Amino acid sequence: MSAPSIPNLLSLRGASSRGRGEARGGRAGSSSSSIASPTGTVGQRRQQQHDAVIQGTDNDAAVSRMSAVELGYLDDPFAALFAQPQPHPHPHPQQQHPAAGPGPAAVRRLPIINRGTYARTTAIDRLVAQFLADTGPADGSSGGFRQIVSLGAGTDTRSLRLFSSSPPPFSSTSSSGIIYHEIDFPAICARKLRAVRAAPQLRAILSEPETSSPSSTSQQEGQNATPAPEWWTSRGPGGSELWCHGLDLRALALAHHQENDISCSTSLIRGLRTDLPTLLLSECCLCYLSAADAGAVVGWFGARISPAAGLGLVLYEAVHPDDAFGRMMVSNLAARGLRMPTLDVFRTGADQERRLRAAGFDEARQLTVDSVWERWVAPAEKERVDGLEGLDELEEWNLLAGHYIVAWGWRGSRFRLVEP
Amino acid sequence: MSDLDRAIAQLRACRPIPEAEVRELCHKARELLIEEGNVVTVTAPVTICGDIHGQFHDLMELFRVGGDVPDTNYLFMGDFVDRGFYSLESFLLLLCLKVRYPDRMTLIRGNHESRQITTVYGFYDECLRKYGSANVWRYCCDVFDYLALGAIVLGASNTLSPSGDGEAQGSEEDIEIEVCNADGQIMSQFPRQPRGAGNSINRQPPRGRSPNGPTSNGVGPSGTAGGGAATGGAGGAVGLPTNTGPPGSGASGSSGGSIGNPAGAVLCVHGGLSPLIDMVDKIRLLDRKQEVPHEGAMCDLLWSDPDEIDGWGLSPRGAGFLFGADIVKVFNYKNDLSLIARAHQLVMEGFKEMFDTSIVTVWSAPNYCYRCGNVAALLELSEDEGGLGIFARSNGDVNRSDGGLIGGGSGVPGSGPRGVLMENDLASLKPGPARRYRVFQAAPQDSRGMPAKKPVADYFL
Repeated sequence: MSAPSIPNLLSLRGASSRGRGEARGGRAGSSSSSIASPTGTVGQRRQQQHDAVIQGTDNDAAVSRMSAVELGYLDDPFAALFAQPQPHPHPHPQQQHPAAGPGPAAVRRLPIINRGTYARTTAIDRLVAQFLADTGPADGSSGGFRQIVSLGAGTDTRSLRLFSSSPPPFSSTSSSGIIYHEIDFPAICARKLRAVRAAPQLRAILSEPETSSPSSTSQQEGQNATPAPEWWTSRGPGGSELWCHGLDLRALALAHHQENDISCSTSLIRGLRTDLPTLLLSECCLCYLSAADAGAVVGWFGARISPAAGLGLVLYEAVHPDDAFGRMMVSNLAARGLRMPTLDVFRTGADQERRLRAAGFDEARQLTVDSVWERWVAPAEKERVDGLEGLDELEEWNLLAGHYIVAWGWRGSRFRLVEP
Repeated sequence: MSDLDRAIAQLRACRPIPEAEVRELCHKARELLIEEGNVVTVTAPVTICGDIHGQFHDLMELFRVGGDVPDTNYLFMGDFVDRGFYSLESFLLLLCLKVRYPDRMTLIRGNHESRQITTVYGFYDECLRKYGSANVWRYCCDVFDYLALGAIVLGASNTLSPSGDGEAQGSEEDIEIEVCNADGQIMSQFPRQPRGAGNSINRQPPRGRSPNGPTSNGVGPSGTAGGGAATGGAGGAVGLPTNTGPPGSGASGSSGGSIGNPAGAVLCVHGGLSPLIDMVDKIRLLDRKQEVPHEGAMCDLLWSDPDEIDGWGLSPRGAGFLFGADIVKVFNYKNDLSLIARAHQLVMEGFKEMFDTSIVTVWSAPNYCYRCGNVAALLELSEDEGGLGIFARSNGDVNRSDGGLIGGGSGVPGSGPRGVLMENDLASLKPGPARRYRVFQAAPQDSRGMPAKKPVADYFL
């Protein structure tokens, strides 16, 4: 990892950045207070700080994923490529090592978090697998091609797991013909590029990445930092493509507001196909935008993807900010500098269903994460997962998992995301 | 200042004590605990606390709300460690206080006082981090093995002692349940309900002796108290006191109550009951000095939960059992208990009475895991002061005169059909002791020398 290629957030702490997989990686999100923005207004600076914190949530998720993988909850051979366990972007006493030596190879999350990581990953994987099964090679209308757009994908490994067709539930889906777009902040997009390039084992499923010219400007960069690429792409098996876009989603929202659905240019997202069945994924991403922007991002795709092709959206977000747990959640996240503006608007599962229908999806469904665990995880699998660490406090689990929801909707007849 | 007092002072400041001192402390504690039976006998007044889980600053708040040691007689029902960030300081402080004031501090074992559980839920890692080795964790685990499995509270009064809040004393004529906030202000009061009819399990001949044996309550105090005047308005239907004077000033009468605990004994245990344990005496026969087993009576006592079921059920926790109201009522009846107090389950309101107030969950970790947003509670049982506590027998009089009265379902939590009972009919399902719950919130983050860095709770992001 070459520190200078990381724009301000990372390079400010660049001294601690070392190679991929080492204990001490970049500190995306940890240095929100030190963002230099000489020309920025106070409002811009605050926005940038919030952006930095949001980027930190990606590492949070990656560390949680790594913990769940190491303990056997999830089978994910790619998780280790992206997890940067030390330092935790939000250090708490449990993870401070006074000796200042390298920490353990991975942070072990508590069982309740591991189970939650398992449940959310399982839920979205199953919806994705359902989408792929309905739109696979057997479905001739688009030559077996289909498209997934992961908003705020961060260092998520789903694309790699799909392309490798390895761990369930993707072992039974075809890895062919998947156009997979990942959109995230340029810094995160660049970090993923470095990780992909540095992992020889990925050459089996991904070609050497090609990048856009890195000379173009990017809104995330400081004056003296080497710019991150706007996008990079890599070819996968059977005509599959992986595209990573260093793009602030608010640019899509802005374009949608401005264009008013007239021009419908797809130039912001290179490689986007408007003729393919498309599934949008937002795993704790759109919730960080204003409700208007979040709606506009979905609207941007809705206006472009052909109605005949079909469009689906899978959301994973927090709900119920009004009860005692929810108020504490909002307060605790605020203490980390994290706001979820859409949570004020979509407060319940029913709100999320209405949101999906209002966004033009014919069908909408939603399930809390504790219900996902109850209903989507087979008894034998439950037993296996429970046997890994044991989960002794069900009240706390029901509370926590009851405050997260998977909501999804789809339009058109090309695929149906009925409850898998 | 003795070494022990110095250690207490240091731990009160949330600073760990040196490993050598921990070793010595644990050694002393074991010598003390080994003398205790599996079921410790505790005499009211006592303040009963539920899970702490390493939330040191909230433990300090608990002491502020409940009174300091040794002024207040405490009974902690386990789960001192894991989850929170200060398991070490919390447990060692409680242990120091136990060694320093053995008669004012009772500690019983929770399911987290276990080698296996602490390696998963944080205490092991915390010891490793704070001392660089697992020695202190080992010392503590050795102490865990000696902790009692339960406690029996004797001598609890049917009436509340003054709450310490100078006001609002006069209305405590026959208050069964009082809920106070952290500042001692009364938030709600519930008058004692008459025993309703219709509970089939109670119409049985009296059983043999209570497991409590001859108790201090058999003498003086219980024989004299009575509460004719006080009970006049306390048929349960109304909460209006007929006697507005201070407790002890206005009522007289003879009790005629049964010998023994006027309010029945209270069993305290971390989790709950076991299908292998039908009598408290059977708990006394267990060999407790071991790691918590994966199954069996000892495991059940630390792991089980009450649930709205009939009989016994499988626990979703993977250890212990679920048990229903019928199980509790039979157990209480057979053991001359009026109440089981237990912890083990997060309750957002801090306490929860179930099954016609035959069992209560007390939870003492506010904003559990710095995330759950719940309040905490502690349960105070007053001392039956005999001749002074003139209301102590009042309930017996009520029952005698209104024995068949149906306890009209008022809005009182836990009201409704609860035991029958004419007191001289049998010594079962005694009227529960008067209970004062003090509800408190998490310690403020920025006061009392809290670490500058707020503990961060994990979410799914």
